[in-house]
Amino acid sequence: MNNWMTNNFWIKIVSLVLAVITWFYVNEELIKEKNMVKQLYKTSTIRQIQNPSYNKKPVK
Amino acid sequence: MTDYLSLAKILIEIGILWFVYYGILLFARGTRGVYILRGVILITLIFVITRQLGFDRINWIFTKIFALSILAFLIIFQQEIRRGLANIGQRRWSRFFLKESEIISEITTTCFLLSKKKIGALIAIEREMRLENYIESGIEIDAKMNSELLITIFMPNTPLHDGGIIVAGERIAASGCLFPLTQNPKVLTTLGTRHRAALGLSEETDAIVVVVSEETGGVSVAIGGRLTHDLDRESLERVLSNLYRPDKKDRK
Repeated sequence: MNNWMTNNFWIKIVSLVLAVITWFYVNEELIKEKNMVKQLYKTSTIRQIQNPSYNKKPVK
Repeated sequence: MTDYLSLAKILIEIGILWFVYYGILLFARGTRGVYILRGVILITLIFVITRQLGFDRINWIFTKIFALSILAFLIIFQQEIRRGLANIGQRRWSRFFLKESEIISEITTTCFLLSKKKIGALIAIEREMRLENYIESGIEIDAKMNSELLITIFMPNTPLHDGGIIVAGERIAASGCLFPLTQNPKVLTTLGTRHRAALGLSEETDAIVVVVSEETGGVSVAIGGRLTHDLDRESLERVLSNLYRPDKKDRK
């Protein structure tokens, strides 16, 4: 076990740091994406309430 | 309960990322890719820091450079990436089925036969760190390990006898390889080029390097920049079996 820890110790540390950074970065991006979708949904719903003809195709 | 589950998910995700990064760094360590990888890591870190500090313009520039550097990495190192992907399917897993004692026995037999005849030899055994750079400096052999072949390679006045042999896994990867000479001023001036090369390689990598002296016939082992002189057969076998697979004790 001790051998496993000491072998390539710094590579293990650097890769762990990179893994944590990547996880937080991707997590942040996912949250942003979700918020954006929510925002878009909200605005389109509000617009539809305010103007029921919004987003409806004109009838020929 | 849900909290524990989400925490476990996060830990597993980070664990997977850690494993992938570790594999990439370990693979790149022995190749030319390590320099560009350092650059990519540096750019990533600057990118993260500028993002956190809210430097939008700097962040924009680094985002562009980051995207370009990944593309450049893929184009420049396509050969290494291809080789690495091929190795995932071949080498790593074959290690579990390796007849370790046979390989050690072949190397020991070779060293002591050459020692008797006072023929010089330099054998590097690859461990976790890849020796691709050094394999490229020699002549690729990729042959199954056997002592007859090793002895033949080191016979004087043959084209392959100069330089060192690299043993990777259960195969003789290359011969006539050039190893870096040690720059350590504390190293005895009485040591020849072969011993200096063994020390140099062991300083730069985690390889085990076995040397047979042409003058005395003594067998030495270099590990981590330290040279152990004049080993007998039993000691060499013991050293090799202890160090060849460092995870051996854990798996018992």
